[in-house]
Amino acid sequence: MNIYTYTILTYALTAVISFAVVGIIVLVGKITSKPADLEKEE
Amino acid sequence: MLEFLSYLFPGIGTLFVMDPVTSIVRILLIVFGFVLAYLGFKGTLEPLIMIPMGLGMIAVNAGTMFLAGGAIGNIIIDPLVSDPSAIVDVMQVNFLQPIYNLTFSNGLIACLVFMGIGARSEISFLLAKPWSSIAVALFAELGTFVTLILGVKLFGLDAPIAAAIATIGGADGPMVLVGSLMMAPELFVPISIIAYLYLSLTYGGYPFIIKALVPKKYRGIDMYVEVPEVSQKTKFTFIIIACAFLCLLLPVAAPLFVSFFLGMAVKEANMGHYTELLEKSLSYLATLLLGLILGALCEAQTILDPQVIRILILGILALAISAVGGLAGGWVMYLIHKRKGEDFNPTVGIAGVSCVPTTAKLAQHAAQEENPFAMILPVAMGANISGVITSAIATGVFITTISMVVK
Repeated sequence: MNIYTYTILTYALTAVISFAVVGIIVLVGKITSKPADLEKEE
Repeated sequence: MLEFLSYLFPGIGTLFVMDPVTSIVRILLIVFGFVLAYLGFKGTLEPLIMIPMGLGMIAVNAGTMFLAGGAIGNIIIDPLVSDPSAIVDVMQVNFLQPIYNLTFSNGLIACLVFMGIGARSEISFLLAKPWSSIAVALFAELGTFVTLILGVKLFGLDAPIAAAIATIGGADGPMVLVGSLMMAPELFVPISIIAYLYLSLTYGGYPFIIKALVPKKYRGIDMYVEVPEVSQKTKFTFIIIACAFLCLLLPVAAPLFVSFFLGMAVKEANMGHYTELLEKSLSYLATLLLGLILGALCEAQTILDPQVIRILILGILALAISAVGGLAGGWVMYLIHKRKGEDFNPTVGIAGVSCVPTTAKLAQHAAQEENPFAMILPVAMGANISGVITSAIATGVFITTISMVVK
């Protein structure tokens, strides 16, 4: 693989994994905060 | 008489016996060590690294002596020993050798520093603006990727060497240590020394880049941000999941990931003694030894390596391009938020460069200079932590895949 293709692919891969990590963080945040919200409403 | 004096004061005597160029470089490095230590003392450069580094540099270049068999060297450290029996021998003589061989060659020192960074990181900041933070951090990786191309195409370096130097663009010392150990072990010493020198310079250099790329009225934009209240249970859960996810994807960087997330997990689990150990004792001990050993590795022969000049140029380019990339990311986020009717200070972009917490503090300082009421630190810290995560991912991706590049 030439260096230009490699760089674009690795940059894209870094971006995908980084967004996936943040996605996990946001998702876990939403899932675990729901029961707390419901408890508050009750 | 001269010979007697030379043996009586070998630090001076060896200067006359060695090759003149090496002797001159030794003297220059002693002076440079003084300069680094003094600038660290004054606070111009990061004192935690620069004072031990300067002293290490002075000691190794001043303390050169005649060894057994007429060889010239020191009894501080010898990074070139690789034969196992020779390592055992030299460990009993050189006082920093055990620490070097048992903590540098395997990246342990980087992991110890990373545990401290983890223990100091507050993930709630990342939750204030998670997507903007990670986007800014990705923009701030621009220097890493552009430098990889420059290294290969402009300087004709092998891809693994160019990638190891390019990791300087991530502005994360431990990551540069591990990256260079894995991809360019023969250049690990100069790459690490130059990386830490430059990282220290960001404090002085980045404010100029901020002022050049963000006009006054935009630097003072205040950001109303509500840092969400997240329970420790939630934070602990996503620390564990994120750690498992990243180790699963990039096992080669697993030691760094587990160190970083361990620091975070210990804090969220309210393990006060562990947190104190990682955040204060272990982290500072690791930083002290890191600085001292990096300085002691700064021998004249290391600096005379012709690759050093390339590392110097590419290293500064990597950090400068990352700063520009981060601020470009800040502008993109500013425009996106503007369309939604929200405020976003483009200066936050500089915090995407993951020099924790230096760049976040620089962003806040730049904003406060123009508007004393501007508070952008929470968002900047979020970008900062995102920067650590993206740097670790980029380094892991490089280490895993760099063999795919055909020159």
